[in-house]
Amino acid sequence: MKKDLIWKAAIYLIMSMVIVAGIAFPIVEKPSAWYEFPLIMGLGENAKIIFFHVPSSWLTVIAYLMAMVYGVKYLRKKNLEDDMKSYAAIQLGSIFCILATVTGSVWAKFAWGSFWHWDPRETSIFALLLIYGALFALRSAIENDEKRATLSAVYSIIAFITVPFFIFIMPRIMTGLHPGSADDSNAGPVVNFKMNANMQVVFYVSLAVFTMLYFWMWKLGSSALILNEKVKKLKYRS
Amino acid sequence: MTDFLSNNSLYIVMIIVLITWTGIFTFLMGLDKRLKKLQKELKEQENE
Repeated sequence: MKKDLIWKAAIYLIMSMVIVAGIAFPIVEKPSAWYEFPLIMGLGENAKIIFFHVPSSWLTVIAYLMAMVYGVKYLRKKNLEDDMKSYAAIQLGSIFCILATVTGSVWAKFAWGSFWHWDPRETSIFALLLIYGALFALRSAIENDEKRATLSAVYSIIAFITVPFFIFIMPRIMTGLHPGSADDSNAGPVVNFKMNANMQVVFYVSLAVFTMLYFWMWKLGSSALILNEKVKKLKYRS
Repeated sequence: MTDFLSNNSLYIVMIIVLITWTGIFTFLMGLDKRLKKLQKELKEQENE
């Protein structure tokens, strides 16, 4: 119980620090103080969304990966709890996928001129949303618990095969507007070369704390789903 | 509004933080609803 509290306090404190650093630390041309971030050509002040936008899409990948892992677990052991864990991960993954899309689109309005461009990055995340959106439709269409769990597990495994391609490969090999595209000469690859050390520290801390937050949310979501199943079973018995 | 935001792009970062927070809050609201429903169902079963 106490250990739990330490984790939660850590999430709260570190996340607050990331938010403060992300909003308050200035971007200057030649950073000299420890709190200054470098100016990245073509990105400007709003480059700081990297501390919130990139972790959202990072969590999308983690959540969909976990959906697949628990899908495989379900298929091996046929334990409905694993299906619930997989489903909770899919829900969270889709929330963060939508967040990454919306935050990216707000940023695009000011960086590229309009909310939506059908840039390779935008197209790929849209395809990803459609693929996992179909999984919700699939789940709600089947009444039988075992059948739903099996189909959903198989679907989440097949769907995950597309995730690395859509998130990591396709937007990087095609030319586009998003930082990190194939013809990007100003900004990309942002993470490796253009950030200075303190910006990288904030970035990786932000990734870590968002991941911790995700695991907390996932634990809550899956326990609520598992409890729901248990209550349903009690109802049928009585 | 658009001009103001493009001249003060720090506020775009703020909007993005708010959107992320809204998403997490929405998740919490959904969880809250689910748990309340569960509590109600459990109570009904106890009363039966």
